[in-house]
Amino acid sequence: MESIELQKRIESRFPGSAWQPQESSGVGTLVAERSAIVEVLRFLRDDPDLAFDFLMDLFGVDYLEMEATERFAVIYQLYSMKHGHRLRVKAFIPETSPAIDSVAEIYPAANWAERETYDQYGIRFNGHPDLRRILNPDDFTGHPLRKDFPVEGIGYRDQFEKITRTRAQ
Amino acid sequence: MGLESSLRDSVFTTRLDAFINWGRKNSLWPMPFGTACCAIEFMCVLGPKFDMGRFGAEAMRFSPRQSDMMIVSGRVSIKMMPVLQKIYRQMAEPKWVISMGACASTGGVFDTYSTIQGIDRFIPVDVYVPGCPPRPETVIDAVIKLQKKIESERSRDYR
Repeated sequence: MESIELQKRIESRFPGSAWQPQESSGVGTLVAERSAIVEVLRFLRDDPDLAFDFLMDLFGVDYLEMEATERFAVIYQLYSMKHGHRLRVKAFIPETSPAIDSVAEIYPAANWAERETYDQYGIRFNGHPDLRRILNPDDFTGHPLRKDFPVEGIGYRDQFEKITRTRAQ
Repeated sequence: MGLESSLRDSVFTTRLDAFINWGRKNSLWPMPFGTACCAIEFMCVLGPKFDMGRFGAEAMRFSPRQSDMMIVSGRVSIKMMPVLQKIYRQMAEPKWVISMGACASTGGVFDTYSTIQGIDRFIPVDVYVPGCPPRPETVIDAVIKLQKKIESERSRDYR
């Protein structure tokens, strides 16, 4: 299905859906409301004409000091094995309450991707079965892919015991 | 020495340190601690083209208890550093460490929150190998340098 047909099909179910005209890699972007993300993705997966059965990727973006609706966004890259078409779904998330509903129930592949997004951006996923850090150590504080996180960290890499030689020099 | 001249070639005398170090330096047992691309480059050091076995260091042991030369090849993250220290502590004395490549020695280009800026901040290092990754000849040169270092050690320094 072409991008314009996808848009029409989705607008027939969600009237007034926000589309971004950006055609990066020929993939259309549907900007979804944060509160409706589960409903939208369930429709995209279950509708036989759309059948987006494959969540290729899920990740966060920090738009700090960039012009965007909100500071954060979560982006879902969808692909339909049945029809061979793609779609990008974007949900903006305000800095004041960085949280969105989990889609791990719809796409099991979202489980670890949401954990990574939580780990690196601090975006909480409501209803996630096991929202723990996945890359950083469990006792890590902060979310290092936020643009205001210092590149050199806040001391983690220097906090180890120094082992010295047991033999005299 | 008078004793040697009378006994001819049947015995020879030496210092105990020289004898022990001669044995140690010619049978190093490497423990590869490979975390990144340097470890891939390190593989061919053992291959037939470069053959670290010529210097008595071909018997790779993946147990720290059976090895005495750790080769840290690759960047070490904050999650890996406790593991590296634990493995280093498990190695029996005497033990030596080669820091292979820019990342293990200085953190390399990874000046980030999660990368250790040189393993020598937290464990003692004997030989640093420059390069990104180093050529196999450079690693062999490091082993030869380590052998020279071992030659000059005194066994009574070990407790």
